[in-house]
Amino acid sequence: MSVNRRKLTHQPGFWGFLFISPWLLGFLIFTAGPMIASFWLSFQKYDLVSIRYVGVENYRRLFQEDPLFWKSLKNTVFYALFSVPLGITGSLSIALLLNQNVRGQRIFRTCFYLPSLVPSVASALVWQWVFNADNGILNTTLRLIGITGPQWLQDERATPWAFIAMSLWGVGGARMVIFLAGLQGIPESYYEAAKLDGASSWKCFRKVTLPLLSPVMFFNLILGVIGSFQVFTSAYVMTGGGPNNASLFYALYLFRNAFNYFKLGKASAMAWILFTILLVLTLIQFKTSKRWVHYEGDDK
Amino acid sequence: MACGCGVDPNAGKVPLRYMAWGNPEQMALEQHLCEEFNQKNPDVHVSFLRVPGDEYGLKMMLMLASHTAPDVMRVDHYNFPSLVEKGYFLDLTDLANADTSFHRNDFFPQAIDECLYKGRLFGLNVLFGGVLIYYNKSMFREAGLDDPADLAKRGQWTWDRFRISAIKMTKRDADGHPTQFGFGAPGSGSTFPVLACAIWGFGGDMLDPTMTHAVFDSPGAIRAFQMIADFRWKDHSCPTQAQDANSLFTFEGGKLGMVFDFMGMTPRYRKVIHKFDWDVCPVPSGPFGNPTLCKGNQLVISAESSHPKEAWRFERFMTSETTENELYVKLRRCFPTRKAMAYSPEYLKSSLPPFNNWAFVDSVANSRPLPINDRWSEWMTAFSSEIDNLIAGRERDAGPVLRRAKIKVDKVLADEAGF
Repeated sequence: MSVNRRKLTHQPGFWGFLFISPWLLGFLIFTAGPMIASFWLSFQKYDLVSIRYVGVENYRRLFQEDPLFWKSLKNTVFYALFSVPLGITGSLSIALLLNQNVRGQRIFRTCFYLPSLVPSVASALVWQWVFNADNGILNTTLRLIGITGPQWLQDERATPWAFIAMSLWGVGGARMVIFLAGLQGIPESYYEAAKLDGASSWKCFRKVTLPLLSPVMFFNLILGVIGSFQVFTSAYVMTGGGPNNASLFYALYLFRNAFNYFKLGKASAMAWILFTILLVLTLIQFKTSKRWVHYEGDDK
Repeated sequence: MACGCGVDPNAGKVPLRYMAWGNPEQMALEQHLCEEFNQKNPDVHVSFLRVPGDEYGLKMMLMLASHTAPDVMRVDHYNFPSLVEKGYFLDLTDLANADTSFHRNDFFPQAIDECLYKGRLFGLNVLFGGVLIYYNKSMFREAGLDDPADLAKRGQWTWDRFRISAIKMTKRDADGHPTQFGFGAPGSGSTFPVLACAIWGFGGDMLDPTMTHAVFDSPGAIRAFQMIADFRWKDHSCPTQAQDANSLFTFEGGKLGMVFDFMGMTPRYRKVIHKFDWDVCPVPSGPFGNPTLCKGNQLVISAESSHPKEAWRFERFMTSETTENELYVKLRRCFPTRKAMAYSPEYLKSSLPPFNNWAFVDSVANSRPLPINDRWSEWMTAFSSEIDNLIAGRERDAGPVLRRAKIKVDKVLADEAGF
C-alpha cells in the first residue's frame, strides 16, 4: 500500500492536479456539468415539471418559426458590429493617453478606471437618466447647440444606438488596463531606434506600437466579441427589450425563455446556437490573426 | 443545561416554513404575524423566509421543481394559474370543507374565484384589491372642477368628464414645458390598469371566455385604446413614456391630478403626502358601466408539505378577521377579502385620508379578474410589443395596432406550451 502511495505521489503531475483539484472540481460540477446537461436539454421539451424528447424540434422551431429569435440575433449582431470596434478604439486611445508620462498620471488612471467599478445595474439606471428624452443630460446638451435629440429609449430607431453609446462606458475598464500593460511592455529602445531613423510619432505608432500591441489587441477582440454577444443587464434594466423589441438582445431573449416562460429546452438550444456562433467567430479570428498579429520571436 | 446551551426551544413542535416577498414594512408585519401565530399555536413553529421581490418568482419555481419548497408560500396571481396547473399546490377543498369555521360566503366572491382551479380551492387570497383612482383634491379645486367622488355618487363620473378634468389640470410653463399633468398610470409607461378599466367600460375585452383567442380587435376595445392614446397624443394630458421615466411626474409629488393604481398604495400616500388634499374615487363609467380589475396574492400550501393541517391552520390565521382587521382596516395595506370587514364602520370611516372608503368597496364589488392564464407572461409580452407602438406614439390609429396584436397573441395561445 505504502509503495503504491509513494508511487502515486511520484507520478508526474500528481501534485499539480492535487493543487488545482478545487478549481477542477468546481469546473466539472459548475461549468462542464451544466454545459452537458444543457446540450441534452436542448433536445427535450422541458418546463421544470415534465420532460419529453423532441429531437431537433427546438432548433427547427427557432430557425423556422420564431421571428423573435432572428430579431434578437439581428439586434445583437448590430450591437456587436459597432460596440466592439468602438470599444477597442476607445480603450486603446485612453491607454495611449494614460501611458504618457505626465503629472497626476496615477490620478488620471484611477479616474478612467472608476466607471468600470460601478455595478452594471447601477450604471444602467444612471444611463436611463442620461438618455431621458426630455430632461436627460444628453438631449439637454444637444438642445443647447440647437439639435433636438431623439427619444433614445422610446424610439426603436434610436434605441440600438443608445445601447452602443452606453457600451463605451466600459472603455476605461479591464480592456484599457490590458492595453496599458501591453504598451508598457514595448521596450523604449524600439522607439529610440525609430526616431533616430527619422520616424514621426504617427509612424512610430503605426510601425512600432500597433504591431507589438497586436497580440493584446487580438486578445481584446476575442473577449470583446464574446462579451458583446452576451449583452444583457443594460437592456434588462433599462428597456426590458423594448421598444417594439428593438433592444431584445439574444441573451435577454434566452433568459426570458428560460426563466419567464420556463421553456428550458428552447433556452438550452439557444445557448448552444450562441456557443456555436461564438466558436465560429473565434475560429475565424484565429485564422485571420496570422495576417495581422505579430508575436515577438515569430519567424514571420 | 443550566445555561440552556444546545436546547432548541422549538424541539417537538411541527416545523412550518413560510415564504413571501414585499417591502420592509410588509416584511416586518408578516414577521410579527408569524411570531403571533407561534405564540397562539404552541405545537407549531413557523419560520419566515423572506425573498427579494425581483427574485421571488424564479426562486419559488426552482424550489418547487427541486422539491425544496416551503410549506406555505405567497404567490402573485400572475404566476398562480401556470403553477397550479403543474400540480405544485395542495388542493385545499377537503381541508376547507372539514373546517367548520370556514365559510366561503364570508369572502368577496372575486377573492375566492382567484383561488379556484377547475372548481377546487387551491389557496386563500391576501393583499387583495382592485384598481381605482387616487386624486389630488387640491388640484381639482384650483382648476374649478367638480369633485370626482361627488360626480361618481351622482352617476356623472364618465370618461368624458375624466377627459375634461385631465385637460384642465394639465399645466405648462412659459416655455411650453409641462409642469403638471391631468393623470398618469402607475409605473414607467405602463398603462395596463387604465386600459383594462377602459376596455371593459366600452364593452370590449382582452381574451374570449375560454382564454384561447384574443378579442382586442372588438369595437369596444379599439375605442378604449384609441381614447387612451388620444389622452396622451391629442390632449397631452398624460405624460409620455419619456416624461414619465425617472419618476419626474408622480402623484405623491403633486405633479399628477389623478393616478390609476391598486388599493395597496394607501399606506405610502398617507406617509408621504402632506402638501395637498387627496382622496379616492371609482374609475370612470363608459357605455358599459365602470368595472375595474381586481387581483390578489394567493397563500398556497406545497403539494409536498408534510404538515398540511398545520399549514391550513396558518393560512386561516393569516386570513382571519383579527389579521385582516390589523392589516387592511387599521393599516390599509390592501383591501379585506372578508365582506364583513369591508362593510364595517371601522373600515368605512377613517380619521386619515382617503375618506371616500365606499369607493374601495364599490370598486371591488364591481370588479373583474384579469384574463390571467398559464400563458399570461408570454401573450402579454407579445401584446405589449405591439401596443407599445400606440402608447409611444409611433402609430396613432388603434385599429391596425390591435389587429396585429390579436394575430400575435392568437399565435402564442395556439402554439403548444413549452416550445
